[in-house]
Amino acid sequence: MSALLDQLSRRQLVWHGDSQQLAYQPVSSGYQELDQQLGGGLPATGLIDIQTEAGIGELRLLLPYLQQQQQHSQRLLVFIGPPAELCADMLAGCDLELSQLLIITPGEQPGAGQGSDKLTKLTTAAENPKSVKKFSPQQQALWAAEQCLQSGCCASVLLWPAAISLAQARRLQLAAEQGAASMIVFRHSSQTLSLPVNLSISLQPDPFGLQLTVLKRKGSWPAAPFRVSMQQQWPALCLADKTAEPLRQAG
Amino acid sequence: MALFLYLHFPALQLDHLQLSAQSSNFPVALVDQQHQLFQINAAAINAGLKLKMGLASAAALCPDLQLLPYQPEQQAKVLHSVAQQLYQVSSDIALDNPAGLILRLDGMLQLYGGLEAYWQALSAKLAALTYRYQYSCGATPYAAKCLAYQQAGLITADNRLFNKALNSSPLSATELIPAMQQQMIRLGIHTLGQLQALPAAELARRFDSQLLSYLGRLRGDYYHALEYLQPEPGFSRYLELLYDISDSTVLVKPLATVLQQLEQQLSRANCQCYQLLLSLFFRDNPPLKLSIGSAQGEYKADAWLALCQLQLESLPLPEPVYGLQLDVNHFAGQQHATEALFNQHQARMSALQLISLLQARLGQAAVSGLTLQDQHLPEKASKRSPPLTKGATGQPVLALRPAFLLARPQPLTEAVTIKQGPERLCPDGWQLSAQRDYYIGRNQQGQWLWLYRTVSQQWFIHGWFS
Repeated sequence: MSALLDQLSRRQLVWHGDSQQLAYQPVSSGYQELDQQLGGGLPATGLIDIQTEAGIGELRLLLPYLQQQQQHSQRLLVFIGPPAELCADMLAGCDLELSQLLIITPGEQPGAGQGSDKLTKLTTAAENPKSVKKFSPQQQALWAAEQCLQSGCCASVLLWPAAISLAQARRLQLAAEQGAASMIVFRHSSQTLSLPVNLSISLQPDPFGLQLTVLKRKGSWPAAPFRVSMQQQWPALCLADKTAEPLRQAG
Repeated sequence: MALFLYLHFPALQLDHLQLSAQSSNFPVALVDQQHQLFQINAAAINAGLKLKMGLASAAALCPDLQLLPYQPEQQAKVLHSVAQQLYQVSSDIALDNPAGLILRLDGMLQLYGGLEAYWQALSAKLAALTYRYQYSCGATPYAAKCLAYQQAGLITADNRLFNKALNSSPLSATELIPAMQQQMIRLGIHTLGQLQALPAAELARRFDSQLLSYLGRLRGDYYHALEYLQPEPGFSRYLELLYDISDSTVLVKPLATVLQQLEQQLSRANCQCYQLLLSLFFRDNPPLKLSIGSAQGEYKADAWLALCQLQLESLPLPEPVYGLQLDVNHFAGQQHATEALFNQHQARMSALQLISLLQARLGQAAVSGLTLQDQHLPEKASKRSPPLTKGATGQPVLALRPAFLLARPQPLTEAVTIKQGPERLCPDGWQLSAQRDYYIGRNQQGQWLWLYRTVSQQWFIHGWFS
């Protein structure tokens, strides 16, 4: 009987419920709890979906991972459509190579290339602008993300989309696999659409770091929410005790 | 012994126009100043039209004939570009306006090892150009020209064959002016052989020196000076479209043929270029000039076409385009990037190529890098720079700074818990009235904010620790 089972499992016809083989290659996130829970770290390639509010520590969670991604392959790090200006002090302080960083802000300039002032003048004179396709900043951002991922010269692409559809996510996932790059999508937690991703996590604020829920992880079982402590890395951004009173009530 | 090849292009301007049109199933003809058909295409020949036909009879034979004016300067440009392209197989090429090229062969035969091999290479090149042509060899430029006009098609170095063909040539194939041809025919001289049989002294007495100089050059007695073509450093091509194009995406097709020619010239010289200047011509508006750049440098037509396509896609045309011109002013040597042999995956393009691609579609300003400046004020410390710029290194990184800075600080309107502060920053020149005290705070939603208090005790959010 066991010989038969042995034979079957050798031909990979039997699937073990307790096997926790990772579907992707992990890269250490720099936070011990997270590495433990994710079986080694964040995926080196493919799509990572992060549902979060802005400003609770979502980028700080990723910075050690991004630094490793960039340093390991000597490739570009691309920020597409960040919600505000990026601060060079902070990024350089986390050992990111600033010259290997690209910021893409779609919709910054309506025309293309040089001579755009002449172009806009001509546009106003144009009687039939029907032939010209207009791309929204959202479409431009997704196009740029796909190009960056496919090119194979980017290690990680970070995207702040307004919304993303299932088909778009699938396309980005394929492009990321093609270029051996990872793509991180920051979404609001109100968007509950499940995407075809390698890893999907949801972040909640926590006085000592972040409360993290793994919504989906390729090749594994769901786990309970856990806390990622940032007291070691970012002592200044953790509350020591909860009794601190609000300093000022404005408004 | 010298050997020349003459190439005659009977319908150069028309063939060039058809090149951009793709389909050639409607009759087109060029008309000269005397309102006679000067060049006709294959469909017009099928309709029964002939050269030098008047407009009335042409219209009667073929009512849907399209007529275009013959432009000598336009044809001269085309002829020059043909010579440029033939230069890669043959070295000594002289232009013979308006429709001929004189190629000196004796130097080239050594290289190709015979006339046959040479002709094979040349005719393959000519077939790729798709212009109609007539050709013949000859011992002198004029002899070759005379034979080419009769479509003799002689590819040989045999002098007896040349003489035989020349002697039976009609005077209409020669360079003599029509009045003199008429004069000769009245005298009963119909072929070149009859003319050459007459003693030179007699001819000199009765006719002007033009005839003698022609005959002398034809036989090779007089020296015939030719100005051979020198290859140009840049690239410039003008393409007139057979019909006006109003959709910018359709422009890609004619552009592809021009880019193909550019690729040939670049690869021949082992060069690449960093910038193309594309001019689009309109009937009423001034021409629209586009500059298309590639940060890495390209020579491949496909790569340039992709970049052009991205710019053209978002380009509104004020009115239909009737012609386009492509200029490249500067060529640079090709550089090949070296890659690691044991890299696990090969990048499809380099970082510079990616940046050119993104900039072509999104615009120059939308793609940037980030550099750290030696400034203490947070809004001045980070600077958007051109992509892949290496900033000054070794600068001390300042204390805790937020990942995101707001371009315009917003007033604080909620309760926050202050964790750290103050950090006093003062603008240059110690303007004490503009000094700011920075604090790190956390609001009720758990967001970490970077706040400051002004001298007048007002609170603003300047950024957030993401």
